[in-house]
Amino acid sequence: MAKTNEQDMLAIASSCIELAKAAGAKDAGARAYRVRDVSLDYRDGSVEKISEATTRGVNLQLYVDGRFSTASTSDLRPEALKTFIGDSVAMAKAIPVDPFRALPDPALYKGQASTDLQLEDPKYSAVTADEGKRIAKAIHDAARTVKGAEALTSVTASFSSNLVENWMVTSNGFSGSNRGTSFFVSAGASAKDADGRRPEEYDYAGSRFYGALTDASAVGTRAAQKTLARLGSKKGQTNAMNVVIDNRAVGRLVGMLLNPMTASALQQKRSFFEGKLGQQIVSPLMSITDDPLVPKGFGSRKFDNEGIAAKPRAIVENGVLKSYFVDTYYGRKLKMEPTSGGPSNLAWKLGSKSRAELLTDTKDGLLITSFIGGNSNGGTGDFSIGVVGFLVRNGAIAEPVAEMNLSGNHLEFWKKLVAVGNDPNPYSSMRTPSLMFENVSVAGV
Amino acid sequence: MPQNEGLTRRTVIGAGAAALASVAASDLFHLSSALADTGPTPGVGYFARFGVTDKLLRDTLGAAMSKGGDYADVFFQHRVTNNLSLEDGSVNRASANVGLGVGVRVVRGDQTGYGFTEDITADGLKRAALTAAAIAQGPAKAAPTRFKVMDAKPNRYPVKVKWDDVRPQQKLAMLNSLNERTFKADGRVKKVNINFMDQGSVILIADSNGRIVEDVQPMTTLNLSAVAEQDGRRENNNINRAARADFSFYTPARLDHMVKDVVQKTVVLFDAVQPPAGEMPVVMAAGAAGILLHEAIGHGMEADFNRKNVSIFSDKIGKQVAKPFVSIVDEGTQEGARGAINVDDEGNAVGRTMLVENGTLTSYLHDSISAKHYGVKPTGNGRRQGYEHAPLPRMRSTYMLPGPHKADEIVASVKKGVFCELFSNGQVNIGAGDFTFYVKNGYLIEDGKLTKPIKDVNIIGNGPNVLSLIDMVGDDLKIDEGGWTCGKDGQFVPVSQGLPTVRVSAITVGGRAEKKG
Repeated sequence: MAKTNEQDMLAIASSCIELAKAAGAKDAGARAYRVRDVSLDYRDGSVEKISEATTRGVNLQLYVDGRFSTASTSDLRPEALKTFIGDSVAMAKAIPVDPFRALPDPALYKGQASTDLQLEDPKYSAVTADEGKRIAKAIHDAARTVKGAEALTSVTASFSSNLVENWMVTSNGFSGSNRGTSFFVSAGASAKDADGRRPEEYDYAGSRFYGALTDASAVGTRAAQKTLARLGSKKGQTNAMNVVIDNRAVGRLVGMLLNPMTASALQQKRSFFEGKLGQQIVSPLMSITDDPLVPKGFGSRKFDNEGIAAKPRAIVENGVLKSYFVDTYYGRKLKMEPTSGGPSNLAWKLGSKSRAELLTDTKDGLLITSFIGGNSNGGTGDFSIGVVGFLVRNGAIAEPVAEMNLSGNHLEFWKKLVAVGNDPNPYSSMRTPSLMFENVSVAGV
Repeated sequence: MPQNEGLTRRTVIGAGAAALASVAASDLFHLSSALADTGPTPGVGYFARFGVTDKLLRDTLGAAMSKGGDYADVFFQHRVTNNLSLEDGSVNRASANVGLGVGVRVVRGDQTGYGFTEDITADGLKRAALTAAAIAQGPAKAAPTRFKVMDAKPNRYPVKVKWDDVRPQQKLAMLNSLNERTFKADGRVKKVNINFMDQGSVILIADSNGRIVEDVQPMTTLNLSAVAEQDGRRENNNINRAARADFSFYTPARLDHMVKDVVQKTVVLFDAVQPPAGEMPVVMAAGAAGILLHEAIGHGMEADFNRKNVSIFSDKIGKQVAKPFVSIVDEGTQEGARGAINVDDEGNAVGRTMLVENGTLTSYLHDSISAKHYGVKPTGNGRRQGYEHAPLPRMRSTYMLPGPHKADEIVASVKKGVFCELFSNGQVNIGAGDFTFYVKNGYLIEDGKLTKPIKDVNIIGNGPNVLSLIDMVGDDLKIDEGGWTCGKDGQFVPVSQGLPTVRVSAITVGGRAEKKG
């Protein structure tokens, strides 16, 4: 990676504000970004694909005579930028006045945390595509040497890294930048089943610091073992049953629960959480804080995408809904104070038990290890989602099941949460622990 | 009513018209000059404005082949996207996005090296090319000395009026009218959201075999959604249309139908029930239910999964996988369809590929890499989201040919099951073959009749198993006009799909289960 040219990108963001004002915008916000991405796939003994590139561009918000438009471009040639911003301001003038559009109150820019979030690995540049190949090969080889590996038909190990840099400026006083690195390794494996199916599984690990990925080859081992464990899967019986959802899988369901907590969903009457602030919405076992200041967190930030200073904030406390995700625009429409328009990292109040102990408590039921397809209606709370996993018998993992489906309504489903695991997923900003539910609806045969 | 005030207010925004002339007149995106092959370099028409010349292409491909790859290509793209969104009775946001960049790919056997840049200069391209070249480690191979323009490129998305020349007032008027009519259609409607998009993407592909082609690819989508209230309850739904077409796509009849459809499919939900859970016969309505094919067979037939030996269809070519009246096609030739393309993103010709012919599995969907692997001709399925990505085998428009049955007799044949007509999304596990699709609207079928409406239910099955259980196919094939977008390996491409009315004799419906035993 070439030396970052801080001044250039900050200058581009600032010049966009000037160009917007010159074209007739009253206010403007600009974010210039540069992203360096490297990814490598290593399959069955050789490199399958290497991709390496640095991309950059600028995103703008334009406030023109009470009208609003956004514009983004990767064409940063000065003349092209000037024409583009001029056209975008003209476009804003064509649409109606919207009294709710405005930059955030500058008071909200103040009070950024002063701690070091530790989001950038200083050794980023030393982790080359060659190093990526070395680690991917090690992961691949680990998968190929597990017990029973001869049944694997294909193993792909992957390495990816990125360096993300942002420079943000607004015409009412915000100026800030952030940088962060991340490194991910993963492995996917397939095996051939007696009936011709080729079940696949994968495993992954990630960190903002390359040196923290000390146990990368274990990712290959786990991917292979998880794949082999899926051989012979069947469809289980339709029933209402007890279910444990693995910490890696459950983020999908948590996301469905959080989406309707945004001010846009509330204001547009597309939220089953409308009017529920301060009420018991889920099991008292659930407490979630949105914590943007977790050191090394994948969702960590000192300011959000509007420039609002980021602060930890309770979302759900002992099952009671404490706050919504409110951005400036929908906050103004709803007459609510902006918090931040979306989640950063989630911090969970953890339980005391591991996934294995939750299974013991489940006795008979289902362990869900991944979801497939499905959707959730944020307006009504109805959801229905395909599941892959294992039957649980006498508290232990029994035969693999697939082609089954979990359904419910969020307002009822989350009250059936009976235990929270002690195992937050360290590789996701949602940091979900394994969760245990009782008497939920699963369809199969 | 707020929407009426909005309408009045909007009609006085005349000031915008003058300003907008500047949008139309800018040098942002002139389709008119896009394909004029009159520039200094054969095959380089539109991209000449960005300094792309014959020499730049030869130098870039030379750098790409400098370590001895089998094959290299460059993919330039200039993509301009405009959006308007309406909520609370008024268009409240306009947005424009410009993507300009170039990707360089080097292929060696099954291996791919890829680099891209937004810096369209000799230096920028050389860096991207050398990055991609590193996949190979041998002596340099020669770059082409001249380029041959693809001949007889079809014109599958003729555009009469360029999007550039459509004044925003025309678009605003359409959105305002849709908003007003949706509220008017039913007093229970409380919120209407509309999103309108038009896009022009110009691509140029040149490769180390000396092929060169440019294509101008228009796209438009219109999404209309509504929230209705009744007795303290709320329901919502969403209808969209998409095409590679100009503004004339939005005919009064098509817009009328969208309004009726979104209102009907929202308010019917007040009477909807959750279907029972478990295996039962399912009837797929003609049209969007083509999502069944996309998930049950389409992805599994993409040849990259098969050359890697990870698809459930990897060893099934030539085998009987369905009843003899089942034939499944993937093609890119339907005029104006969202999944239509004149040329794929590797510069290969695009035609019609039979996935299943009279029940027998016939052909995979190939890009250049898999075609070489299998020793067959590319099928024109090499597609990419944009210059940031290397191409992969992807679907275009996937559908089933008409069969021998009548829609009425298919519904009448089911004693107890469900009828599925509106869908939001689906997914498949390629190897295990398990797939899902999510049903927004449908009906219970009881004693051969559609009875209670159903809502929000996921259906899950296994690809080859479900194909073998398709036991009735209607004669009423319909290609859906919805804005379907297909995701794979982090890349999203527009696709179409279609189906005649079809019966699957048994598949798991993810309804609500009662506690048993």
